[in-house]
Amino acid sequence: MNQEQQLKLQAYLDGELPEREKRAVLLWLQENEEAAALLAELRNTRQATVKSKQHLSLPESREFFWSKIEREIQRLEPEKTATPEVSIFTALRRWFFPAVAVSALALAGLIAHFNVPKAAVEIVADADTPTVETTLASGDATTYRNASDGITLVWFSDNTPIKSKSPATIN
Amino acid sequence: MKLFTINKLAYAALFFLFFAGVTAHAADGDLKLEAQLILCSNAAQPKSRPVAPEIEQKLLRLPLKWQHYYVVNSQTFSVAKNESKPVALGKSALDVKNLGGEKVEVTLVGFGKITQSLTKGQVLVTGSNDDSSLIVVRQVN
Repeated sequence: MNQEQQLKLQAYLDGELPEREKRAVLLWLQENEEAAALLAELRNTRQATVKSKQHLSLPESREFFWSKIEREIQRLEPEKTATPEVSIFTALRRWFFPAVAVSALALAGLIAHFNVPKAAVEIVADADTPTVETTLASGDATTYRNASDGITLVWFSDNTPIKSKSPATIN
Repeated sequence: MKLFTINKLAYAALFFLFFAGVTAHAADGDLKLEAQLILCSNAAQPKSRPVAPEIEQKLLRLPLKWQHYYVVNSQTFSVAKNESKPVALGKSALDVKNLGGEKVEVTLVGFGKITQSLTKGQVLVTGSNDDSSLIVVRQVN
């Protein structure tokens, strides 16, 4: 029996031959005892291999199964904790302090809008009211101020008839 | 998304402080002023130089008897803080002192002294030794 015939027998055993060749091999096996013996040997070897494989596969106990799950959970846990958790203080620092700052600014703006302008207007009015000192021996000064127009008129009047230099009269 | 951080607020506060400081410094710099001798009249004088419209509007609202105002003479000058500048306009003599903070002390020689804040747009008017005339002091750019 040559190598090609041996390979054909192996292919027959593995079910890899087409129907026509399979029938030819069957006829050949009925006529050739050596071939039949080789096929029987191959079949035994195959069965032995399958049995040894089954023997090698260890049964997985219940404890081992759950221990694998436990290890997998432990392996994944560090990844979860890798993401930083936001502490309460951090959250306060991020949102509460800026919110307080914005609220303080808004409050200051409101106070400035509703209260300060009144006082400021008064202060500005006082500041814009001129301080007048006359050097005339017997004279005085008249002040007229129009704050909305932004104009101040100061008129010095000398009450001594001879020295009077007032160029205009106020209506 | 963070809208504000402490650092950003601190930088903003520093910026405003810096801006306020610069503004305050600018306000305490030299004052550029203009003093005008104004002729007052009830009759239009087409050949005379009329006062600026913004001054005329203010003068017309004063309780004075005149309807027309013309520029006879004007002087523009700068006064440093705490410095004085003598100004002669017609027959009148002025002494203008920059008190800082856009405040001036105008001395009308022979008559008296006026202390007044003179921000841009504000006008100080006083009498003059010339007939039918006024002196106008204002801040210019």
